[in-house]
Amino acid sequence: VTTHDGDGVDPPLPLDGVRVVELGGGVPAGYCTHLLAGYGADVVQVGDPGLTADEERYLSRGKRRVEATGAELARLLDQASVVVDGRCPSGGDDVGAPPARDLFAQRPHLVVTAITPFGLDGPHAAHKATNIVSFANGGIMALTGEPDRPPLQNGGDQAFMLGGLQGFAATTVALVGAAVQGTGDLIDISLQECGASMLELYGSSWEYDSVFIERTGNMLRAEWGVYPVADGWAGVCCLGRQLPALLDLIGVEREPRFLDPVQRRDHNEELLVHVLQFMVEQTKDELLALGPAHKLPIGAVRTAADLVEHGPLIERGFFDDDGAGGRLPGRPFPGLGWAPLAPPATVPIDVVLARWSATVGGPA
Amino acid sequence: MKRLPLEGVRVLDLTMMWAGPYATKMLGEMGAEVIKIESPRAWDNIRTLIPREDQVDDPWNSAHYFAEYNHEKKSVTLDLATDAGRAVFLRLVAHSDVVIENYRADVMDNLGLTTDVLVAAKQDLIVVSMAGFGKVGADRHNVGYGPIIEMMSGLMSLSGYDPDTPQKTGVSYGDPVAGLAAVGAIALALMKRRRSGEGTVVDLSQLEVSSKMAGIAFAALAGTGEVPRATGNRHQRWAPQGCYPARGEDQWIVASCTTDDEWAACARLIGRGDLADLPLAERRARHDELDEAIAAWSRPVDARVAVDQLQAVGVPAGRVLDMRTIKDDPQLYARGFWVQVPNEKMHPYRKSGVVWRLLEANPTITRHAPYLGAHNHEVLTAVAGLSGDEIAELEAAGVIADTLGEVSFG
Repeated sequence: VTTHDGDGVDPPLPLDGVRVVELGGGVPAGYCTHLLAGYGADVVQVGDPGLTADEERYLSRGKRRVEATGAELARLLDQASVVVDGRCPSGGDDVGAPPARDLFAQRPHLVVTAITPFGLDGPHAAHKATNIVSFANGGIMALTGEPDRPPLQNGGDQAFMLGGLQGFAATTVALVGAAVQGTGDLIDISLQECGASMLELYGSSWEYDSVFIERTGNMLRAEWGVYPVADGWAGVCCLGRQLPALLDLIGVEREPRFLDPVQRRDHNEELLVHVLQFMVEQTKDELLALGPAHKLPIGAVRTAADLVEHGPLIERGFFDDDGAGGRLPGRPFPGLGWAPLAPPATVPIDVVLARWSATVGGPA
Repeated sequence: MKRLPLEGVRVLDLTMMWAGPYATKMLGEMGAEVIKIESPRAWDNIRTLIPREDQVDDPWNSAHYFAEYNHEKKSVTLDLATDAGRAVFLRLVAHSDVVIENYRADVMDNLGLTTDVLVAAKQDLIVVSMAGFGKVGADRHNVGYGPIIEMMSGLMSLSGYDPDTPQKTGVSYGDPVAGLAAVGAIALALMKRRRSGEGTVVDLSQLEVSSKMAGIAFAALAGTGEVPRATGNRHQRWAPQGCYPARGEDQWIVASCTTDDEWAACARLIGRGDLADLPLAERRARHDELDEAIAAWSRPVDARVAVDQLQAVGVPAGRVLDMRTIKDDPQLYARGFWVQVPNEKMHPYRKSGVVWRLLEANPTITRHAPYLGAHNHEVLTAVAGLSGDEIAELEAAGVIADTLGEVSFG
């Protein structure tokens, strides 16, 4: 058995018996179904998901892959509980299944989660998009980067990954509703809207107060920024209530010009000099030790290579073994079990159909 | 009409700032009854984060940042540092399904509200904590907000104009990401409880959720042994891709040529048909030159026109929407993403709407962010079963309140 299909895992996982068909592939749908698989769903990808080797290594574990068209694909969809549809209305990646709306209309028992760049309707629904296009259209890119340089995408295909996480959370919520009410739903998730819902205070500052906030690079305020330190980069993020402790730490008097939120705006550059002088003389480890000691939010920039050797994460059971001695991020949160996720395997559609026909699936 | 999926689920919401409130607003949109609990002495800091220049008696009830992420919730004040406050809270727990909090790791235990105490009040309770680094483990005492989580998770090391200068995301990205994971955790726990009758305790670490979002970089490390680095606005596989100026102050577009055909179409559009046949390897080698060529074309063109022209020839492209232009984006407008939610303490404005568009259940925003303590009487009577006299005693003792004393912003 190359995937989790409800057998042999004790205790049971929360999505045991939930059958998921992934259509169209891609990172957003792939991340969504990766999380569903980890929590016990039986995930079947239809066709090649179109992932790179790294994406495949991370996202396709615990899934089976089939080639299916026509009547076989229809039977697969009939017996599924969830369809995660990564097909874009701009086309080019169709696998022969009906569009998401038709799919749900024909099979109202399904939870159909469509994750697309712009949503299923609207004037841009058929626009082509990559990760950077979705990131730009969601608004966060305009806030990211230095003010005197172009806006910057953040790393790791976050517009896509965010869409996958939104899809996962939405799908699990819809499954609760389906279990209680006996029918599914169509969830239309737009990557653009995923970003646009996360503009923190910046979106509403303009809309409500007519205060337009531009990107501020690595420093929002002196006490809220990322700075060079002796051996790399680290940062501090203090709210007003934490400023006294920060001033004490960096050896600056607790004066109103630094503590009062209005006066502080006019003395930001002065405080910044103190913060920079302090930070550049410390190592990351030294700073990380100071954070909890002073109850201050202090962090250091770490890489994946740093993290796979980080003892506290290993001890919390965060990592999965990739089967070749490597560590990959595993369960996003503990407490609900997490399936062992074997590398993906292509199987005959008959195998899946026989199994699904012989057992009762679904979330109830 | 299908009902919302979480109707009938009651959530006690002890979260503050952005991570937890993002989670609970999603739960509220999906139909859960979310009861936001704040202390009259330690309220959600977002209510008073931004100094106000207008003169209103109760600025904590009309902060736009608070309003953005706290709709579909009720507000109850309870001072959990008092015996009376804790006793009332546990009465609420006994009639609730979920308790969620994102305090520092030691706060709930210091209040005497350990997981054991909570579960003793309700055996099948779902408890989700969202401490920055988890409640258990050697890092549990670290303090962190979104940017700290982004630094520590590996995500920030992947962002930057150059590989040696990490760049933070323009929002506290770790916050809503953790919030979404918390929603998933609660839904899964509800599924589990439906089957087994058992509650669940989830020790969510915001750090782990963000590291999970950087997972492809971990996979690259595992596969090649090389540490992935930032690529600016470029892409590791295709070229050219970048962010290009458009007409107007700080106006930009992005474009990606993911295939030879897309590049050929782009090259012809920008008047550089002489470069249309460049193979990928040469496009990568001459990326700076191609960026200049695209920028020379886009700089005098309106961003909307440039994007439409690129899309018309089949090139993935989009406008870098800023806080002004995103409010007038035709796609978001057509889909009705921005909504007005009546609130008598705020002037009309548009806020972000529901992201999870469930066709049948059709979630909408019906309740503005709550005024402090606005639902004290309703909830303490109907859920906790307190009498009017008991509520009056709590008010007199300062355990509950619907106003704040002297407020310092920031």
